[in-house]
Amino acid sequence: MPVIELSYSRLQKLIGKVTKKQISDSLPFLGLDIESEDKDLVRIEYSPNRPDYSTDYGIALGMQGLFGIKTGIVKLNVKKSNNYQISVNSSVTKIRPFVTGIIAKNGKVDDKTIKQLMTMQEDLHFGIGRKRKKSSIGIHDLNKISFPLVYTTTTRDHKFIPLNSEKETTVSEILTNTDVGKDYGSILGQSSQVPIILDENQNTVSFPPIINAAVTTVTTKTKNLFVEVTGIAKEDAEDMLAVVATILQSAGFILESVKITGAKNSSPKLEQRKMIVGASLINQTLGLNLNSSKIVSSLKKSRLDAISKGTNIICTIPAYRFDIFGPLDLVEEVALGYGIQNLEPVLSPSQTMGKINPVSIKLKSLDQTMIGLGFLEALNSSLTSKRVLYDMTNRDSTKIISVLDSKSREHTILRDSILPGLLENLSKNIHESYPQKMFETGTVFATENPISEKINFSGISAHKDANFTEIKSIIQSALNVGFGIKVETKTATNPTFEDGHCASIVLNDIPIGIIGKIDSKIIENYKIRVPVVGFEMSLSDSVLKN
Amino acid sequence: MSQVFHEIEKKIIASLRDNPKQSPESLEKSTQLSPDQIRRGIEWLKLKNLAIVTESKSSILSLGKNGLESFAKGLPERRLLDLLKTGPRKLPDLQKELGFVFGPSMGLARKNNWIEVSLDEISIKTPPSELLGEKTLKLIGNEKLSKDKIDGNDLSGLLKRPDFIIEDVVKTKEISLSDLAKSIKISDSVGGIDVEADVPEIFVARTHPLKDTIDEIREIFVTLGFSEILGNMTQSSFWNFDALFTPQDHPARELQDTFYLDGINSKKIGTPEQIRKVSESHKKNWRYQWDINEARKMVLRTHTTCVTIKHLAENKPDEARIFSLGRVFRNEKVSYKHLVEFNQIEGIVVGKDASLRNLMGIQREFYKRIGITKVKFWPTFFPYTEPSLQTMVYNEKLGKWIELFGMGIFRPEVTKPLGITQPVLAWGGGIERIAMLKYDVGDVREFYNNNLGWLRSATKCQ
Repeated sequence: MPVIELSYSRLQKLIGKVTKKQISDSLPFLGLDIESEDKDLVRIEYSPNRPDYSTDYGIALGMQGLFGIKTGIVKLNVKKSNNYQISVNSSVTKIRPFVTGIIAKNGKVDDKTIKQLMTMQEDLHFGIGRKRKKSSIGIHDLNKISFPLVYTTTTRDHKFIPLNSEKETTVSEILTNTDVGKDYGSILGQSSQVPIILDENQNTVSFPPIINAAVTTVTTKTKNLFVEVTGIAKEDAEDMLAVVATILQSAGFILESVKITGAKNSSPKLEQRKMIVGASLINQTLGLNLNSSKIVSSLKKSRLDAISKGTNIICTIPAYRFDIFGPLDLVEEVALGYGIQNLEPVLSPSQTMGKINPVSIKLKSLDQTMIGLGFLEALNSSLTSKRVLYDMTNRDSTKIISVLDSKSREHTILRDSILPGLLENLSKNIHESYPQKMFETGTVFATENPISEKINFSGISAHKDANFTEIKSIIQSALNVGFGIKVETKTATNPTFEDGHCASIVLNDIPIGIIGKIDSKIIENYKIRVPVVGFEMSLSDSVLKN
Repeated sequence: MSQVFHEIEKKIIASLRDNPKQSPESLEKSTQLSPDQIRRGIEWLKLKNLAIVTESKSSILSLGKNGLESFAKGLPERRLLDLLKTGPRKLPDLQKELGFVFGPSMGLARKNNWIEVSLDEISIKTPPSELLGEKTLKLIGNEKLSKDKIDGNDLSGLLKRPDFIIEDVVKTKEISLSDLAKSIKISDSVGGIDVEADVPEIFVARTHPLKDTIDEIREIFVTLGFSEILGNMTQSSFWNFDALFTPQDHPARELQDTFYLDGINSKKIGTPEQIRKVSESHKKNWRYQWDINEARKMVLRTHTTCVTIKHLAENKPDEARIFSLGRVFRNEKVSYKHLVEFNQIEGIVVGKDASLRNLMGIQREFYKRIGITKVKFWPTFFPYTEPSLQTMVYNEKLGKWIELFGMGIFRPEVTKPLGITQPVLAWGGGIERIAMLKYDVGDVREFYNNNLGWLRSATKCQ
């Protein structure tokens, strides 16, 4: 989840008459988790579905609602203008087909505002922009640009001075030499043409979705902004624009429209939507009995507009709240406006009888039987390593199931056997007193349509007198007492076990496992100084079989 | 009340009651026990606070070569005086008889004025009947004797003489009875053992502490009317993500968060209707080209919710309380607070009257039963529930609020495509977190280390 750093004093100025404590107490009820606090600074985590909370301006809007300082919808006042036009060349259609934008004027941009806008931009890029693939934003100093603009394509040898640079660079150089180029260049694929926004004088404004031109850099002297969003879907680009527009208006800018034409593009509407939700759905879902006016006031506290009509509530939703899909989202808005802290938990009697799964019951019986036989229960990961599963135990590794790109070397392969893990456990306990007797039940995996999961049972006994007879007695007693099953042993060979001390565990003439004395070389590899005997068998093919 | 004692203890106590302060050697003599029996008996009595052992250092004296000779023949000056008893003797005679002690004995006798020396004869005057040192010689003789039993003045003369006295510093023990032992009644019964002595540690075979926590949680939910269902750890992306309204380009679905099985895809992921309706819901709400091949990719489940949603889609109950418990996986760096594989419990309530307050009530009851009473709820976000809440519980040991189970009501975008018509409450969370609080474990890896030192000692009921 994204994290932003805020200043309490700045938030207080934006919200109105509230104390620092009131703010910190209320942040969680807006869905914002406080990660850490240091005097005036607070780091908070917000949900990726609320990108408007990526700045203190957006959080202040929500807080004003919760505190009842300002409630109802945040209206976007966009002045119609014909001074700002972007025409789109159809060459972008196959690469990054849509552009949208807005003008924001007469704002004050201090260092902190720039920092907030940068964080918002990055969070929007990462979240709803899907790492700039779906949509990306460029924020520019309006006064450095001569409208009208054209959104078109250019070749990879197109040159301009990119942001944070002083010298002219080609598109190819940007893509190969800069961090942003390396990170996001793949979005453009291999095509020889790349998207570009040029102004009236053919000066480059932006090379979306990679980098802006240096000339339009926003500084503390900037008063007027031009915001463009490009993307692969018109709606997504406009959603992103709606967030930025709302935040800029809250930051004190006056918005003016940008006219966009050509290649299926059109000017952004940034319109409010209407959605109807039944009062009964709200009350049933929350377990409350709120009247219409309470529902309406709660929705207004969540910065939506609402009126009641009969048993329905008609909601007006601003463009930046694209996280609202349907009526149930409005139920949550009511809950937040009403205050989660005001919902009293109720325990209604269960209409159903609870039942433990028969498999769990059988496994628990087996646990108890093994404990009676003096074995301690071990737990190992199902996702383990080639070293533990195969290399240390001489097992056949031709049919391994591995995961992609694991961050941990010890967790790369799904186990097809439990015993190797127990041997590994013994090796980590050579300083503990003997006898050491352990068992484990758990899932093992095999490739079969596409994966079969079975439950295995393995046990191990290590001490100076450990021998085949002992471990055979254990398995026979455990299965006989636990489940009334009688198994036999038939001579076998297995690379993990010593020849002449190894057998198959056989149930009704079908082999279901292996038992014996662990090969002395394996014991030596593991630096274990006492003999070890063990077994592993399938429970799915025996006691858990229907 | 009388106390049962071992025979050895009885004999020692009896002997000490007769003779209150004794050395181990003297106890050996008085009790007729072997040195080893005495040693053990004293040790047992000491542990019971019945015997007091005081250790002290003392000098033990014995006679050296010259001392022994003097013990046998008398001190050199005594021998001189003896020779003179029968009358005056000539000097060469005496010299011949006394040998090399003649000089020192003459010197001493003259100095003390015991003899009179004329020109050619030596005669006795009036010597004392006992000479200095003779008492000591007699006392020590061929034995060893503690220095404090000897008259210091009598001894001092001998100490100056070469090789007369050998002095050894030794530690000595003195055993006496405590006040308790002086009054204790000794039972007549025989064969009693020391029931208070330390015994060797033996190790209990037991279930794993984490398994105990899992069992405890399972039982709580069963008593709350929930039934357990099982499901696979390997799942198609369809059930792990798509059916739960997680778009295919969502960051949670990337390799860096989720374990994909190398080259393994599922042929049959769901019914044609399920696939069609899920894909439609994605296209409509998330606006992208849904790809069935993406949904076929097999993953290690990132939550147990895939098990419950599959169960709901297959059974479509109007009323149900169901839970699922098991391992889930996240592609994370392993640390003291993160594992790649951990246990999760996840439950659902289906029913027309299911409400958010009910869900909160079930959670509160669960926490109460595991001993957590300070609980509060905060709003949060999950892609497949709306509204969504998280529980915060207050941990007394840590002195802070910590996040436990998440919960919410399944979105219609999740339930509708799968033909589920009733509201579904869902909740779930990690079990290791609860076990960490329960067993006061600070490093979550401990649960999978199988460290016998810990497993053999962790208290079962906490």
